Amino acid sequence: MKSYESRKEPEENKAEPILETLESPYLPAPGIIERALKVTEKEMLFSVTPLNPRLLDYRPGQFFMVGLPGYGEAPISVTSAPGSKTFELCIRAVGNLTNAIHRLNKGDWLWIRGPFGTSFPLHEMKGKDILFIAGGIGIVPMRSLIKTVLSAKGFGKKTLVYGSKSPGEILFSDEMDEWKERGCDVRLTIDKPHPGWTGNVGVVTTLIPELKLKEGRTVAVVIGPPVMYRFVILSLKERLVGPGEIFVSLERRMKCGVGKCGHCQINGCYVCQEGPVFKLSDLKDLPEAL
Amino acid sequence: MRNIEQFRYITAAGLDKLVSRLIEDYTVFGTIKKDGFPAFSKITDVKELELAQTPTHLSAKEFLFPQRETLLKFDIRNNIHEAVIEAKEQVIIGLHSCDIHAIALMDRVFAEGRPDANYLARRNKTIIIGSDCMPDNFCFCKSMGTMNAEEGFDLFLHKVKNGYLVRVGSKKGGRLLSRYTATLRPTAGKFRELDESMKIREASFAAKLDAGVEELPAIYEGAYESPVWDKIGAICTGCGSCNNVCPTCYCFDIKDEVRPNLREGARVRVWDGCTLEDFAKVAGGHNFRKTRAERLRHRFNRKFRYLSDRFGELFCVGCGRCSRTCLVKINIVEVTNEIIRESKRAGRK
Repeated sequence: MKSYESRKEPEENKAEPILETLESPYLPAPGIIERALKVTEKEMLFSVTPLNPRLLDYRPGQFFMVGLPGYGEAPISVTSAPGSKTFELCIRAVGNLTNAIHRLNKGDWLWIRGPFGTSFPLHEMKGKDILFIAGGIGIVPMRSLIKTVLSAKGFGKKTLVYGSKSPGEILFSDEMDEWKERGCDVRLTIDKPHPGWTGNVGVVTTLIPELKLKEGRTVAVVIGPPVMYRFVILSLKERLVGPGEIFVSLERRMKCGVGKCGHCQINGCYVCQEGPVFKLSDLKDLPEAL
Repeated sequence: MRNIEQFRYITAAGLDKLVSRLIEDYTVFGTIKKDGFPAFSKITDVKELELAQTPTHLSAKEFLFPQRETLLKFDIRNNIHEAVIEAKEQVIIGLHSCDIHAIALMDRVFAEGRPDANYLARRNKTIIIGSDCMPDNFCFCKSMGTMNAEEGFDLFLHKVKNGYLVRVGSKKGGRLLSRYTATLRPTAGKFRELDESMKIREASFAAKLDAGVEELPAIYEGAYESPVWDKIGAICTGCGSCNNVCPTCYCFDIKDEVRPNLREGARVRVWDGCTLEDFAKVAGGHNFRKTRAERLRHRFNRKFRYLSDRFGELFCVGCGRCSRTCLVKINIVEVTNEIIRESKRAGRK
C-alpha cells in the first residue's frame, strides 16, 4: 500500500486537521443505571448517571437517543426535571431495544446521545395559567415540565388533565399527591369503566369543558398519541385557547437525531431539529403534523 | 464567458496515462460497460474505463455515501464503543454535470448543523473528474439548470477529436494534471469543436419541464392536494428504486450487527427510502405516511420544495434516473408537468 502522505502538499495539510477533529455525531456516551423500577405492566423507570456531565444539560421537552449495543437506538424523552446528578427515563417495552432495556438492572450501562431537540419555552409560559393535557405515555415528557413548573415561581394556576386506558396504566400516580400539594389541580380519566374506579370515565376531552379557563391567561401543553391532538385542540378552541397558546410535543421515528436521516420529517420540517416541541401556530403550514 | 486559462488539451493517450497513474496511487472508480450499459465501478486497468455519453442507472453516490457503512464498533462485554470513520483517497472519473451538482448538494446536507464526519472525511479525500454527456429521453438537466457544472469538480473532460479539452476546476486538479500527464495549450479549433458539440447537445433534449425552476416550489406547494398523488400512488409498487438511484436521496437507517460470538459488533448505516412502507412508522405501530400516494408526494416535495426551503436550492438535478428505473413508468417530468398544467388552469380561473 502506498502512503499518500508523501504526495500531500502544504495547502492540503491545512484542511486536514479540521476534519480530523470532527467528532462522529453517532458516538454515544455511557450512563450507569442507578435504579430500575417497574412502574406499570409495560413501563419501567430508570435513573441514569451519565459519565459525561454534559448530558445533564437538558431542558424539559428534549430527548436522548438511547441505545444498547446489538439492539440499536431509539429516541426517548427525558422525564425528570433538570438540576440533579441523574436523569430519569420512563420506557415502555414495545420492541427489541426497549424489551432489552427492561432486562437491565442497577449498575448496567445505557448508551446515550443528546440531548436533542427543542424544549418548552418556560419564559413564554411565565405569568400564565398552565394547563397540562396528557394522554397515555404523553405524561412521560410532560412530567419533566410539570416538575420544573411546580418547583419554579411565577406561573399562574396549574392544572393537569391526564387520560389513560385503564387504572393500571396510570403512570406516576404515587407522585400525584405531591403535585397536588405543590399547587397542581390533578384530574384523571380512564377510557372505559373499570371495577373499583370511581373517577371520571371517558377520553381526556370530556374533562376540558368543566375546567375554569381564563381567556388570554392560559397556556395549554398537549402531549399524547397521534389521534388525541385534533380532538383536544378542538375542545381548547371552544374554550378560547388558540393555536398561539398551545404547545405540543410530537413523536416521530428517528435514527440520527442530527437532522440527516430523514425519518422524523413532517413535510419539510425535521422534528429532531425544529421539534419535538412546537407551538401549534407554527404547525399551520405542515399538514402532516397532526 | 469562458475562461480559457482554465483549459488544457490532452491526447487520448495522455488521458490513458493520467488514469493509469491515478490507478497506481488512488482507488479509482469510473464508468465501465456492464451488460451493455454504462455503470460506475472500481477500475484497476485503464482499459476498463469507457467514458459514457448516456447516464449510468445508479448514481455515483455510493462512493461518498456507501449503501452500507460502519459508524461504530462496539465490544459489549468491555463496554467499549469506538467511532469508525472510513475514508480513503479516491478518484471518481466520468461524472456528468448532473452528478457533480448532486454531490455539491450532498456536501451541503452533510455539513449542515451537526456535521457528519463520516461523509465529510470521505468527501475530502475524493477527487472528482467529470466528463461530458448527451441526453437520453429521460434527461432533463437543461430544465433544472444543471446542464453544465461551473464548479464542484477537480477536472472536467470534454471530448474533442483525438483527445480531450480538460477544464481545471481546482488547484488540486491542476496539480494532478501537470504531475501525471503531458498537457498542451488548446488551440482555438478545439474550442470551436467544443462549442459545436455543446450546441448539438443543447438541442438534443426530449424531456422538458413546462415551468421555470424558480416557480417549482410554489407550484408544488399548491399541488399538495392534487389528484396526481392518488393517481401515481395507485400504480406505485413501493419498491424504493427511485430513492436508491437518486443522486440526492440521502435518507438512511442505522442498525446494529452482532458477530456470532455475541460480544462484538458494529452499528452500521444503510440507505433507506421514504417511499418504503415502514419509513415513517413508529414503535407503537402508527405510520405517519400510510399510503403510497402520501409517500410519493413526500419524495417529490423533497426534491422540489422541502429541501429548497432549507437549502435554497432544488434537490432534483434532472438526471432522470428515477423515471428510467421505475418499474411502473412513473415519470418525474410527466408528473411535474401535470402539476404545472393544474397550477396554470387554477391560475386562469
